Amino acid sequence: MSEKVVETVNLTKCYGEFVALDDLSISLEKGQILGFIGPNGAGKTTTIKILVGLSRATSGSAFVDGYDCFREAKRIKRLVGYMPDTFGSYDNMRVREYLDFFGAAFGISWLRRSKRIDEVLEITNAVYMQDLFVESLSHGMKQRVGIARTLLHDPSVLILDEPANGLDPQARIEMRELLLSLAAAGKTLIVTSHILPELSRICDQVAIITQGKLRAYGPLEEIMKTVSQKRTVEIQLVSGADVEKAGTSLQQILDDSPEVTASPTESMVRFQTEQQDDGLGRILSQLIENGVRVAQFRELQTDLEDAFLSVTQNATASEAALAGEKEPPTAEASP
Amino acid sequence: MNAIIKRELIDVFRTKKSFAMQVTLAVVFALLLLLRWPTESQVDLSGKRAQEVFRIFGYGLLTVLILMAPAFPAATVVREKIKGTLALLFNSPIPNWQIYFGKLVGVSGFLFLLLIMSLPSAMACLCLGGISLTQELLPLYLVLFLLTLHYAVLGMWVSSLSNSSDGALRATYLIILALTVLSLVPYLLFQGSESLLTALSWWMRSVSPIPAVMEILGHGFIGSQGVEKATQLDAPGRFFLVNGMLTLALMVDTLYRFNHKIFDRVRASGTMTNDMNVATQIGRRLLFMFFFDPRQRSIGILPLVNPVLIKEFRTRKFGRSHWLMRIVAFCSIASLILAYLATMGTLDWGPDVIGGIMIMLQAALIVLFTPSLAAGLICGEIESGGWQLLQMTPMRAYQIVLGKLLSVFWTMSLVLCATLPGYVVMGWIVPEKWSQINQVLICLVWAAVFSVLVSAAVSSLFRKTAAATVTSYAILAGVCIGTFFFWLFRDAPFGHGLVESMLSLNPIATAIQVIETPGFETYDLVGTNWLLMGIASGLSLVILVVQTLRLSRPQ
Repeated sequence: MSEKVVETVNLTKCYGEFVALDDLSISLEKGQILGFIGPNGAGKTTTIKILVGLSRATSGSAFVDGYDCFREAKRIKRLVGYMPDTFGSYDNMRVREYLDFFGAAFGISWLRRSKRIDEVLEITNAVYMQDLFVESLSHGMKQRVGIARTLLHDPSVLILDEPANGLDPQARIEMRELLLSLAAAGKTLIVTSHILPELSRICDQVAIITQGKLRAYGPLEEIMKTVSQKRTVEIQLVSGADVEKAGTSLQQILDDSPEVTASPTESMVRFQTEQQDDGLGRILSQLIENGVRVAQFRELQTDLEDAFLSVTQNATASEAALAGEKEPPTAEASP
Repeated sequence: MNAIIKRELIDVFRTKKSFAMQVTLAVVFALLLLLRWPTESQVDLSGKRAQEVFRIFGYGLLTVLILMAPAFPAATVVREKIKGTLALLFNSPIPNWQIYFGKLVGVSGFLFLLLIMSLPSAMACLCLGGISLTQELLPLYLVLFLLTLHYAVLGMWVSSLSNSSDGALRATYLIILALTVLSLVPYLLFQGSESLLTALSWWMRSVSPIPAVMEILGHGFIGSQGVEKATQLDAPGRFFLVNGMLTLALMVDTLYRFNHKIFDRVRASGTMTNDMNVATQIGRRLLFMFFFDPRQRSIGILPLVNPVLIKEFRTRKFGRSHWLMRIVAFCSIASLILAYLATMGTLDWGPDVIGGIMIMLQAALIVLFTPSLAAGLICGEIESGGWQLLQMTPMRAYQIVLGKLLSVFWTMSLVLCATLPGYVVMGWIVPEKWSQINQVLICLVWAAVFSVLVSAAVSSLFRKTAAATVTSYAILAGVCIGTFFFWLFRDAPFGHGLVESMLSLNPIATAIQVIETPGFETYDLVGTNWLLMGIASGLSLVILVVQTLRLSRPQ
């Protein structure tokens, strides 16, 4: 039986009238990486704060390793390593001293601490910066030190708020590799990010949250399937002259009133369909039979960014519809 | 109008703080006149009453300026540097010198306005009679206007060198209080002779506005011994000369760096003694006596030591062992010099006066150091995001606060202990003074405890370190310096009872009274002061604990 390491059950947080988090239920198993996605003010940080014991839920409950996040906050602190979106630097302190302080604060013995600092610096590839002053570090270097700090007490769950924020492409690749290696080492990770392509490469699970509500949750592939039931296919033609012919043919072949967009300048036609792979094969054959000169025929992959946009747009539309239903009839409409 | 001036001034005027300041100042001056305006049918031909009002008015304005003036310019450059707007300004077609002067006029403009707001009250004093427009009123305002400009230039100079708003604020307050108070001490010691030291201390004293204002208000004789040479410039004249040159020098230096250079920041290479060759390692270890090498890799926080205590020392600019040793050495030397002077009897002053000076020096150290150490204890952590990280550790709130308080108490203890040799020598010269010395030390301990706890309590009430620092300085300066103004007017207009009550709030005045410094013998302050200090410290501790618990609770 799989082991639930992180679990929230009907988690709700209200600030007065404002509902910051509405009935959130998610769970995560050991070694999994959850991509926690949402626009600014969606409720991500509120959820994280409840999970790390910095905030109290209005209703519902949250557990890490089976321990209640509020009632057993002290135990939670030893189980969770939290890296907030702000670094929390101390001026005039060298990186090694900075880690030494947090190591001591977590009660790591003096004899073991130095070795542990060496280990986390090694894991995060930050050994070379151990004698530099924290305030003089670049953003990327600070992110590494931040992760090193969260790893110090060897927590089973890591919660990282925007770890890739502000990193250059090379640093992002290194960060991605670091997170994957941590997951491989058995750590459970919750990662928030605005850089969705980065998340899609590392996450096992995705939770999309907007306006405090969970809009989509589950394995990445399932989310993709749910949000994108139609497949987008792009046909690259040999010549722009074939574009019109291709468009007409597609309208004839596809009986599900397809959305066809054509770009003569790019010699390209794009359409959406619910057909499976064999259906797509038939479409290609018929196009060739109709004399359309096809250079490429390929399906465009829906990425996490599309999924996120689809979910948030749907959520906004349904919220607007709901608001419309609740609105009182206008003067013109009323008898 | 220069766009910068417009923006800076509007920014200042928009704040609630500036509105409150203007209203408070107007009300205080109006009340002052209302209280002292003659109601009898007799005419005061001597003008004594007008002079009493004018003196309080003059000292009041000076105090307001010393306490408030640094708050505006100290953060003006560094704040924009951190936010990145200064780089945008440098990138605009506005010349750098215009940006500088725009900011200067912007920050000093508000202070000038506050001074101008006091003019109606000053004119009312003039109408009471007994005050000369050219001999008293005009020189006073000229001194205060120059002082405002000087503080604005100094604040911007410090701000241009700083990397954080609260650091700039602390440094500006430290420099201003040192220039205002500590610059007076050498002259007190060396006056009366014709040595080079006397001449130097005479010029050093001119940096402070206090002698100039005291001379204008007819208190120039206080603290003086013998007769000064008639050919010498008077105190306001010297003040104008010295401060005018200093202001110009600071302005030139700031302007010289007011360009891309302001963003240059030296980054330590991170080379540690441990990684150097053996010969260099041995050399450095001998040079720094093994313990005080700033490039020595630290051994880590030892068992049973509060980690927050060590973290506080390490994160302070002067908290590292090599800096602490330098501060302690400086205090010890200063204390021994005073003791030596008392022992040699080269001056006409006895141990009482020297004791008074020593207490004043220690008081200055307490007032100068404590807010810079304690005013950012809690809000500094909140501001930097460190509080959230501390909450994520298994440390309890009381451990965090205790570590922080201990770090300040240790520093204060070191500094105060370093000044003890002077008292030992004094006790050795006059053995019957031992009981008084013990009482003085208790007063100083109370002063330190009170200052630390008040600053820490203020720190827990604010979100910004800069605001907490200004408030702490204002409270401590009000208690430890402000109450002396009542003593200055001890015969008129304030009676003995009121002066005694006000002085009993002040632990420094109590220590001075205990050591029987001339002018303080008639008061009985010890019992009341110790009780009040205990109550105030206790209240501050309660506020600190309650606020810390509130801040560490889950939201």
